[in-house]
Amino acid sequence: MARPPGTANRQMPTGARAALVVALIYLFLVGVSSLEAGIKIMGADTQERLFSAVSNPIAGLCVGILGTVLVQSSSASTSVIVGLVASGALGVEQAVPMVMGANIGTTVTNTLVSLGHVRQSAEFKRAFAAATVHDFFNVLAVSILLPIELIFKPISGTAKWVSELLVGSGGTEWKSPVKKWVKEPVGWLKDMWDQFGASGNVKGALMVATGLAIVLVALALVTRNMKALVAARIERSLNAILGKAGGLVALVVGIVVTIAVQSSSITTSILIPLSAAGVLTLRNAYPVTLGANVGTTITALLAALAASSPDSLTVALAHTTFNIIGILSLYALPFFRDVPVIAATAMAEIAVRRRVLAVCYVVGLFIVAPLVGVAILR
Amino acid sequence: MVLSFFRAGDTGLDHVVTRSVAMVSDARHSFDLACTALLSGAQPKSIADDVRETDLRINANEQQLRGELAVHISVHGPNDIGEVIGLILLLKKIERVGDHAKNILDLAESGVSFTNEPDIDELLEERRAVSGFFAEASEILAEHDGIPEGFRDRLDQMIDQIQGRIDGYMTSDEPGHQVVPRAVYHRYLKRIVANLNSAVLAATEPVRVIDQAD
Repeated sequence: MARPPGTANRQMPTGARAALVVALIYLFLVGVSSLEAGIKIMGADTQERLFSAVSNPIAGLCVGILGTVLVQSSSASTSVIVGLVASGALGVEQAVPMVMGANIGTTVTNTLVSLGHVRQSAEFKRAFAAATVHDFFNVLAVSILLPIELIFKPISGTAKWVSELLVGSGGTEWKSPVKKWVKEPVGWLKDMWDQFGASGNVKGALMVATGLAIVLVALALVTRNMKALVAARIERSLNAILGKAGGLVALVVGIVVTIAVQSSSITTSILIPLSAAGVLTLRNAYPVTLGANVGTTITALLAALAASSPDSLTVALAHTTFNIIGILSLYALPFFRDVPVIAATAMAEIAVRRRVLAVCYVVGLFIVAPLVGVAILR
Repeated sequence: MVLSFFRAGDTGLDHVVTRSVAMVSDARHSFDLACTALLSGAQPKSIADDVRETDLRINANEQQLRGELAVHISVHGPNDIGEVIGLILLLKKIERVGDHAKNILDLAESGVSFTNEPDIDELLEERRAVSGFFAEASEILAEHDGIPEGFRDRLDQMIDQIQGRIDGYMTSDEPGHQVVPRAVYHRYLKRIVANLNSAVLAATEPVRVIDQAD
């Protein structure tokens, strides 16, 4: 061939890109810490208002969906939730429904990607089914596990137990080693806003805004660079599971790839054109999306390292626990396993006949329903 | 399979090129084997399984590699679209070469044999030349250095030569049982050479470069 193939994307040397990723992860941790510091500066009144806004768990769930749809990344939204919990603005009880909402909200990206195939009926049917199987699984998991969590607290209880094992119990502060590393740049940010004459709530709000911007930009750049770093490995893993791997292998590939790129949306969106083309069957794509659910929780765990409250680690662990319990209860059991597949296939059949319904579904599930939920229940 | 993420290895397109070279070798094996039945007196029965299994292997590889190219585009985006289009075309052409080798076997299985015919030396020489083109095509695909000067001219000359023979058979006064099998065989031969020509072109110039001066 005129030029050795597979070399188009590698302008930056691998070592330099890896160093850049490390620097960006550090920046991301600075962002989370800045967010926490900002809320603390804003004082108890603001924290109380935030707290009461999501005191209803369904409202919290809806906020989680909307927030994630807005940033198109559950990694980003759960990291922000972890930051809010660290600052004391949210409690574990309020945060757990929100991270469940983040799980639902993150599926919007691959559903939107599937709409790109709308002109070709057969392709669209396969793509839409592959996208909505993730939606249906997550909605089903929340429908079953949220009520159980509200009554018996198995998810937050397990997460709290693991958290106590890791950082000890009894304290409201824990000495995260990462917290020390990010303290200085957060101090610089505070000094910077002091220089501009900001103080009190204004300074707190500016710290929160700066923290949010840093988290979103750093995470987006981490994802982009990690994807470039591991694209060939992702390709090899997907080739390995095409058509011949069992569900467990596909699930683990979903976890590994998502941890590597720090974004479940990237993993699940890669699956859509493959499903549309018929290269990947719905049943092969389905466990990969479940693995992506688990893999994406690594970012919130990372964010919890920069936070000072053990509760933030508990919430990050609750996100992981929720996804693992979801898989164990809904995928490991054969009866439940096929429910999302059947629902997604039926939904795709309807969508391919009345395409406007596909758009209504996306707008309804990801925007209208959560907005109505927040408006009524907050 | 999960460990494939952590292992080093060929990237997607390199892997497809490596496998396509192996497919050309398979296609050549099928062609040579099928021709022994038609030109060298081998019993069609004794080689039929090998030729058909090789053809199935070529077809399976083509399907698998097309899937891998879809994965490549999904993961990397459209940066390598030109090469991917070229490789899809290349795989299709190699698959067709394999089909024509099987067609030659079908001809031998239907009772055609040129082994004791007066023009056998010419036919054997032609087969050797075509078989040699397979080897050259493999080298071109493997080495990424473009098409050596004169290679495509020789392929075109061979196509013209084969077409000349077909034209001759079409207007020949010889009996049908003499000329029809030869015309059919040469038709397959021509398609094999033409597909090899297209395969190397697809690999080296996947999308035609349109210059302002064109």
